[in-house]
Amino acid sequence: MPGKNILEMRGITIEFPGVKALDGVDFSLREGEIHSLLGENGAGKSTLIKCINGVNRKDSGVILLDGKEINPSGPYDAMQLGISTVFQEVNLCPNLSVAENIFVGRQPMKHNQIDWKEINRRAEELMSRFHLDIDVTRPLSYYSTAIQQMTAIARAVDVQAKILILDEPTSSLDENEVQLLFSVMRELKASGMGIIFITHFLDQIYAVSDRMTILRNGHLVGTYDINELGKVELVTKMVGKDMDVIFSLKRAEVSPDAPIMLKAEHIGDSSRIDDISITLKKGELIGFAGLLGSGRTETAEMLFGASRAVHGEIFVDGQNVSIKTPFDAIKSEIAFCPEDRKRDGIIGDLSIRENIMLAVQSRKGFMHPMTRQEQTELADKYIKLLGIATPDCEKKAGELSGGNQQKVILARWMAASPKVLILDEPTRGIDIGAKAEIQRLMLEMCGEGVSVIFISSELDEIIRCSNRIIIMRDRAKVAEVDGESCTQQDILRIIAEGAA
Amino acid sequence: MSKKQSLFARLTNPKYIMVYATIGIFLVIYAVGGMLYGDKGFLTVRTFVNLFIDNAYFGISAVGMTMVLITGGIDLSVGAVASLTGMFIAYGTTILHLHPMTCICAALVMGVGLGLLMGWVIHYLNVPPFITTLTGMFLARGVCSLISRESIDIHHPMFDALASWKIYLMKFADGKWVRIKPIAFVNFNVILFLVMILIGAFILQRTRFGRNIYAIGGNEQSASLMGLPVGRTKVLVYGFNGLCSVLAGISYALYVKSGWNLSLQGGELEVITCAVIGGTLLTGGVGYMIGTLFGVLLKSVIPALITFNGNLLSWWGKIATGLLLLLFICIQRFVVTSTGRRK
Amino acid sequence: MAGKKFDLSGLMQSKVTWAVIAEALILLVCFIIRPDFFSISYQPSTGMLYGSLIDIVNRSAEITIISMGMTLVIALGGTDLSVGALVAVAGAIALKFLRWDVLTYTTPGDYTVYPYILVIAVPLVVCALMGLFNGFLVAKGGIQPIIATLILMVCGRGVAQILTDGKQFTTGYSPFRVIGQGSFLCLPMPIIITIIVVVAVALFTRKTAFGAFVESVGVNPSASRLSGIKAGNVILLVFMITGLLSGIAGLIYSSRIMSNDSNNAGLNFEMDAILAVVIGGTNMAGGRFSLAGTVIGSLIIRTIVTFVYYFGIVAEATMAFKALIIAVVIVLQSEPVRKYFAKRAAMRRAGAKS
Repeated sequence: MPGKNILEMRGITIEFPGVKALDGVDFSLREGEIHSLLGENGAGKSTLIKCINGVNRKDSGVILLDGKEINPSGPYDAMQLGISTVFQEVNLCPNLSVAENIFVGRQPMKHNQIDWKEINRRAEELMSRFHLDIDVTRPLSYYSTAIQQMTAIARAVDVQAKILILDEPTSSLDENEVQLLFSVMRELKASGMGIIFITHFLDQIYAVSDRMTILRNGHLVGTYDINELGKVELVTKMVGKDMDVIFSLKRAEVSPDAPIMLKAEHIGDSSRIDDISITLKKGELIGFAGLLGSGRTETAEMLFGASRAVHGEIFVDGQNVSIKTPFDAIKSEIAFCPEDRKRDGIIGDLSIRENIMLAVQSRKGFMHPMTRQEQTELADKYIKLLGIATPDCEKKAGELSGGNQQKVILARWMAASPKVLILDEPTRGIDIGAKAEIQRLMLEMCGEGVSVIFISSELDEIIRCSNRIIIMRDRAKVAEVDGESCTQQDILRIIAEGAA
Repeated sequence: MSKKQSLFARLTNPKYIMVYATIGIFLVIYAVGGMLYGDKGFLTVRTFVNLFIDNAYFGISAVGMTMVLITGGIDLSVGAVASLTGMFIAYGTTILHLHPMTCICAALVMGVGLGLLMGWVIHYLNVPPFITTLTGMFLARGVCSLISRESIDIHHPMFDALASWKIYLMKFADGKWVRIKPIAFVNFNVILFLVMILIGAFILQRTRFGRNIYAIGGNEQSASLMGLPVGRTKVLVYGFNGLCSVLAGISYALYVKSGWNLSLQGGELEVITCAVIGGTLLTGGVGYMIGTLFGVLLKSVIPALITFNGNLLSWWGKIATGLLLLLFICIQRFVVTSTGRRK
Repeated sequence: MAGKKFDLSGLMQSKVTWAVIAEALILLVCFIIRPDFFSISYQPSTGMLYGSLIDIVNRSAEITIISMGMTLVIALGGTDLSVGALVAVAGAIALKFLRWDVLTYTTPGDYTVYPYILVIAVPLVVCALMGLFNGFLVAKGGIQPIIATLILMVCGRGVAQILTDGKQFTTGYSPFRVIGQGSFLCLPMPIIITIIVVVAVALFTRKTAFGAFVESVGVNPSASRLSGIKAGNVILLVFMITGLLSGIAGLIYSSRIMSNDSNNAGLNFEMDAILAVVIGGTNMAGGRFSLAGTVIGSLIIRTIVTFVYYFGIVAEATMAFKALIIAVVIVLQSEPVRKYFAKRAAMRRAGAKS
């Protein structure tokens, strides 16, 4: 029996200069349900939740909490009303202890002093409710992202929230951690809390939610029961068009006698990656599959010199090269799009032009500058080629959307015309349309003779594009399978159980 | 079942490493001094107490500075504000014949007001603390020079009484209390310093305001999303630091019994140095009053050593302090990398 | 037409514009009070031009030179506190080489004990090396620049004192006098040196890709490294340049007084230089920098001081006066205020349209 609505939003409209971010959207949340909010980037999901927790002000419409109209003025105000938000990036203080992060600002007091014993006791209780047995007095930075995420949820839950908003909580968690989070979510749901859940992973939506609401371009597409809608229909509704683009992608063709472009033999650094060997042919695309922390990124970083390999040898185009820094790798015509776009990729305050020319320029050294005109030409060429949505190349790269930022980084490396291109999660956090486009570009580059290493957490993506797939587990390569003939189940089994 | 925290586990919490380092290095240097100059009386209580007497004003200011640094800010105006306080007292009592208390009240209004104003500019106008407080320093220094360019002696019965008030340290011998030899005493400054350290520690550890300071230093954006009063806290911290600067100025005036427009030049950096070698991170979020206490002692034991040596130029003190800073920065670096995130 | 208008509003939001306006206003006030403020006269006996404006530029030389390096340091997201101490070190070394042992060479005169080339070269090399030390701590040690440079700030003056045994040497060596008091093309030598330094730094940063690298590292060091920029080397070079420039400023300073003054030489120069950079519109968080803005910032600081002297306001008020004007500039440049102006401009545009 469905519970009563605790939150109702009617006709919500929010306008930003020039755009209607939300246009007359209705949304409701029942007591004791997990309600997924879906849509591509820019569809209005974040805007909607920011409207609930008071970060954004709505221009029209009403929000009813338990039948009473509310107008929260900010996350704190919303929290007082019983609406807690856990933001995508952990918004806690790394220097405070786990316990304190849960209670800061509302610490229990005794004799006008903070009651530390009580804080630590209650924090331990809360964390054990999440099946975490940790020392809550240690600083938050001491623990993994998963535990930090749990701490954020613990804080959100402990304020006697009626509504919990989880904005992409799983994007940095591995499979076990996700399961742990889900079990916590189910417990909270059983206790009558309404949970709004946002994620990019479709499987997770089906695993945990009761209903889902789909947004597109600021409009409401509809609200559905979870078993009412299949995956393909769901994606179609999100994208608004058929998924032809994605399904029409063709794998790169590699002739059997293509020369070997990259060969890494027994590279490793004893602490992160033990010993791994890889060969990559000209024009070939290999995928790295495995869970987060399985060593995919670490291997890529080692190939690129971002972290140093202690032993082993790397050959590029038959030549033994010594790669100690990214600069060495670029000299050897290896390129690398890092996983964390914001931290390691985009240089936000600089223009698109400067972002694109950077790798070319750094290979030349600063004493051989490109002229302004050369830079502009280069930038314009790639803006056009990749379809980067911007009025001109002087716009700050940081002001672009995620997908466009990713394209700028891709352009930076395409401009450097590498022989080997390593892409670490290039499609994470960007919408499906942009995803398809990035995959298409990747395959096009293979066609032009570039060898690509493609790292992704989304298996279907890897299977669709790769010629070969290297499967990583516990910081080692456990198997190498043919991309054409393997299935998702095969790979999952190997990831779960190790090589057959 | 709740897992009990053993005392050992609590003490080995990585967040205390820097404090231990400060205390440890202080003890080592003190021991070395004792070995070299023990025969000249380096290990006497008197020498130890003098460390406090000669540096109390730095210590008082360091209490407020530690808080400012924990928020991730910095305050360069403390030396100038302390100096201005001295000018207020000197000019007020000696030239205008006002009561010292009146002058002190005026100085308090000035110092706390300037601190609050700077805090407001830093938070609400988003001007970097470095620049804001630098301007504050110029302002205070300028007003100092406007008041007088000459050093003014302070003569007032009450002030003199306070300056010379002292408690002799006693020991119990032969059935009665006698002064220890060589004679050692604590004065008003030392007591003020220790009281301020205690107040600072209480604020930081036992009040929400104090914990908000840490939260802001850890991640200001998070702090505001968690609903903490970021603006109010920051403004008050700079105000409190203004108060500490004024108290430091009073303490300095009691120490030298005069006011001079150029006194305590560069004092702000001495104070920051005390806090840094006491384990406070300039990046914010980390720092303890006990660390600052030992930071002040550590910094003051070096000039004491040089005095005891007798042959070294006092400039070596600066160089030694610089090296000490270098040492601490390296330790901090090492601690930060080794206690960083663990999966 | 519309394009031009757009440029104008962009200009109003630029920090450099505010700095230029501030400088213009201060000069205007000077002009109103005393129309002869701008007069420049030629003194045939010395072959030099004289006047308040010349004086402002001349006296701002040290800060302008140092702040060229400081601009780059701040663009990297750091600050260099050691520059003032390096000024003292440079002076101490130069005077040490000029006089060497005051007990043997008792009277200061027109001589130098060691070759003049050493008098010039050794301070510069030492300062560059000290800058390199700062850079090393920052780049290789990963230490925050403000703390890393605090070390030399604290012990630099100690080093200077020990070099000269805590004594103040004076000299009368005329080639040394030329640096701070000589003239070239009718202009005081410090102005010539400043122009050379400014042009050299501008060419070095803008005609090569170095400036872009500095900005890139300043905005996002990690991404810059992964784009192949040797961030460490960029940092080392920037701190070394700043050290070298501090050395040049130190030579000018000690040539002006023909002496070394380890206590007061370069005192608060780091503060003035940082102020000049910030007033000039470079953000303390790093990223985009403007050398032209910095030059104007440095001129503003000096104009204020000259203004105070020139109009006989008590010299002691300089600091307070400086603080007030800087406060105004900084408040005008602050984010909320600029946003407010931008919003008003947008509203006016919208109003004009409808």
